[in-house]
Amino acid sequence: MVNLTIDGKQVTVSKTATIYEAACEAGVHIPVLCYAKKLMPYGACRVCLVEVEQMKGRLIPACTTPVTEGMVVTSTSDEIVKVRKTVLEFLLVNHVVDCPVCDKGGECDLQDLTYEYEVVSNRFEGEKFDLPTDEVNPLIERNMNRCVLCGKCARVCDEIVGYGSYSFINRGFETKIATAFDRGLNCEFCGQCVSMCPVGAILPRPFKFKARPWQLKEIDSVCGYCGNGCTVTLGTKDNKVETIRFNDKTGVNDGNLCVRGRFGYSFINSEDRLTKPLIRENGSLVETSWDKALARVADGLKQSGSETGIVTGARLTNEELFLLRNVAKALGSENIDHSGGECYKGLTEGLQQTLGLQASTATFPQVENCDAILSIRSDFYETHPVFGMVVNQAVRRNDAKLTVIADKRGKFTKLPEAKTLLHKPGLEVNLINAMCRVLLDEGLAKTERLSGVDELKAALADYAPETVAETTGVSVDAIRTAARELAAAENAAILLAYGLPYTAASKELGIAAANLSLLTGIAGRTGSGLYVCGEKNNSQGAIDLAVMPGATGLGAQQMLSAAAQGQLKALYVVGEDMVSSYPDRKAVELALDKVPFLVVQDLFLSPTAQMADVVLPAASFAEKDGTFTNAERRIQRVRAAVPSPGDARTDFNILSDVLSAFGAQAPATAAEAFAQLTADTAAYQGISLDMLGAQGYVWGTDILTPITRNLVAVAGSKPLDAAHQLLVGSALYHSGTMSTHAKGPMAVVSEPYIEFGREDAKALNVAEGDLVKLSADGEIIEAKAKVDNRLPQGVLFAPYHFSALGLNKIYRGQPAIAVQVGK
Amino acid sequence: MFKEFAKGLSITLKHLLPGNKTTVDYPKQRLEIAPRFRGLHRLVPAQNREKCVACYLCPTVCPAKCITVESAENSKGEKYPKVYEIDLLRCIFCGFCVEACPVEAIEMTGAYELANYKREDFNFNKERLLKN
Repeated sequence: MVNLTIDGKQVTVSKTATIYEAACEAGVHIPVLCYAKKLMPYGACRVCLVEVEQMKGRLIPACTTPVTEGMVVTSTSDEIVKVRKTVLEFLLVNHVVDCPVCDKGGECDLQDLTYEYEVVSNRFEGEKFDLPTDEVNPLIERNMNRCVLCGKCARVCDEIVGYGSYSFINRGFETKIATAFDRGLNCEFCGQCVSMCPVGAILPRPFKFKARPWQLKEIDSVCGYCGNGCTVTLGTKDNKVETIRFNDKTGVNDGNLCVRGRFGYSFINSEDRLTKPLIRENGSLVETSWDKALARVADGLKQSGSETGIVTGARLTNEELFLLRNVAKALGSENIDHSGGECYKGLTEGLQQTLGLQASTATFPQVENCDAILSIRSDFYETHPVFGMVVNQAVRRNDAKLTVIADKRGKFTKLPEAKTLLHKPGLEVNLINAMCRVLLDEGLAKTERLSGVDELKAALADYAPETVAETTGVSVDAIRTAARELAAAENAAILLAYGLPYTAASKELGIAAANLSLLTGIAGRTGSGLYVCGEKNNSQGAIDLAVMPGATGLGAQQMLSAAAQGQLKALYVVGEDMVSSYPDRKAVELALDKVPFLVVQDLFLSPTAQMADVVLPAASFAEKDGTFTNAERRIQRVRAAVPSPGDARTDFNILSDVLSAFGAQAPATAAEAFAQLTADTAAYQGISLDMLGAQGYVWGTDILTPITRNLVAVAGSKPLDAAHQLLVGSALYHSGTMSTHAKGPMAVVSEPYIEFGREDAKALNVAEGDLVKLSADGEIIEAKAKVDNRLPQGVLFAPYHFSALGLNKIYRGQPAIAVQVGK
Repeated sequence: MFKEFAKGLSITLKHLLPGNKTTVDYPKQRLEIAPRFRGLHRLVPAQNREKCVACYLCPTVCPAKCITVESAENSKGEKYPKVYEIDLLRCIFCGFCVEACPVEAIEMTGAYELANYKREDFNFNKERLLKN
């Protein structure tokens, strides 16, 4: 620790702090333009100049100068003010003063400083910038005439996102921020640059001319897309969510968001939202009143009783999931499940068998300090982009060694020094088994306290690195190095995402990952962690609250087959578009068709809802109070920001009414439900709403110690023998099917596509944008081709978000689908 | 005492003489209005559009909250007021809107005969304000 004096105030800070950080600590205000807490010090703007007693003779930039013992700093003097004023005058020589029409006006750092330092005239003359502006891009609007060259956009894109869209081009007065060859933006569209820009040079296009910052009401909530659980601050005006505000005070995402979080909010205001309950009369759905719809639901469910199946998406709040479980109880049914039923078995069954847990063992911020990181599937970045940004920081700032077990290249494989174990589709388990074998063979495994070592050794006889290398197409050395690095690292992380498009061998993969985490000692060790992350915003909450089939109950897939055989009397689907997103569409459609009574509760009239007997219009995350539990077990508050459109009601209210119809007691408020559910859930014992502060509350503390340490042998699979294999997965710009109703993600990826590698495209004579047909098992899907260099030869990829593609007609949960390509 | 009384009364009588009238014969006769008089508002037109750029400073500064602005983007990509309304029944004619305007798009005219028959007629929309 270092002691110094700033403006007469004594302050003690860590020796790595800068003068600016020390001043913040001491409560002394030093103006800045180019400084951002999460970025490396840069010193571009020279607004933060201060005087230091020990360095007399010149002014010192506070944001880049480290503190030293006994430093005496003066933050304001006549000279400093004069210099700062001059700096501002210089900036205002070229900066176009179009504050009246600039959307940054009111929260612009340059505007605030100009006001603070009373820069009312300019001693210098020069030409105002007259650069072309980018107003074509649907998400990010760039007007470099307003740029102050602080470099924050270039730095955030490089340091945090790891994309590197921007850099300074030209020299001297001509210097400006631009993309490669000064072309249009073609990036991840995460909008981090938008959130960092201190002036109006980079702005969110969807928010253009919508409101002034001071007119917006800000509500802190949690993003409703992926399991990352980023906190978002909704900016609302006239009961409409207009934008997502920058906020790095809450949560653990440091204000970082991805394209979905920052630009995917517009589904809340979508015209397609359901506003009235619908009821099937004479074969078609007609609008009705809540009383009638609820009466019909109560009637139907009373008749089906214990033969009711309840399936939910993991997008509901914990409180709503709790009520839903109570509905199942009231019905006497144990058939309750969420999202896919199969896809999260790695977590619920795999980790349960090995670690005795059903959750990730550590928290996200720890990954930044990891020395080695293993990502299973390159798609981890696609499903959890903001967690991916933490991985990027670990790699870039702390030289973490990243290994990616991948069937296709992706963002992770492009990170500096990242090693990619590019394998044939569906062989992840084989590779992890081989890594376990390397650890055991070379004596690197930390086998003390583990049970099942000998059994595992025996089972891994077939997984010698050489054998696996041959089957998977990965080099032996790469497997060995990956295993050694993971074992040698003091802090290490294993990442695995699960979701609806990744149902294949879910349990086996979970067990294999857990085995590896046990052998390397990662599970339960401080600073290290096994991260098994759910695709949806509250996947972890649904597992914690045991929204899973009871001892004699049916899982989602079993319910569907039972329904298809006429053994299920009713199905209650809450917040899930099964027809569009579940594997095997035909089976789902058959089940929904056969089931005598189908209730769907959703935001949109999805293909699933179109088959329902009763459709109940529900509310989005921006319209309700409650809590979400993210993939690192962090329970965070969700707050209502806007009223629901029309007669739509929150799932909480709907489920309360359903419960009352059965004469069961429903908690009156979300807070009351939270109190009940914490008392009812072992892991949540003793947690109250007051404990969920700005950073939420991580149940089971930051490091979750495994309850059991069992190694379980799992068999890998065999490579598929087909010339063309289709992989199913998530696209970065979308999450589930919900984002296809949001303008932001749709502006980037508006329609389904089939991705080809360059070689395949050439061999098949397929060009970008061509309409291609894939046939498998007599089913044909058709979409535009996208040509990229991510995919190895013979491998194709299609995202699962778009219902129109009908991908799940051929996707039945296989790791890869053998397809015929035609035009 | 009588002296003072006569003195005072003489001032009064002086005012009764022609040419000393302070009132005018309204509406036949009207007063000349000072250039800084704050009457009915006027939106200043520019070429093909209004000068106003919908910066929201006038509704922000307005103490009576009588100004409604809704901004939008026109075909040229410029910011313009899709809606600009002043509720004259709430306006206190303080002139802050004129003072706040960064582009001198709003002025106050000398019009003070603002009586009307219907409430709606006191609501001045963009078109009416531009005509003033």
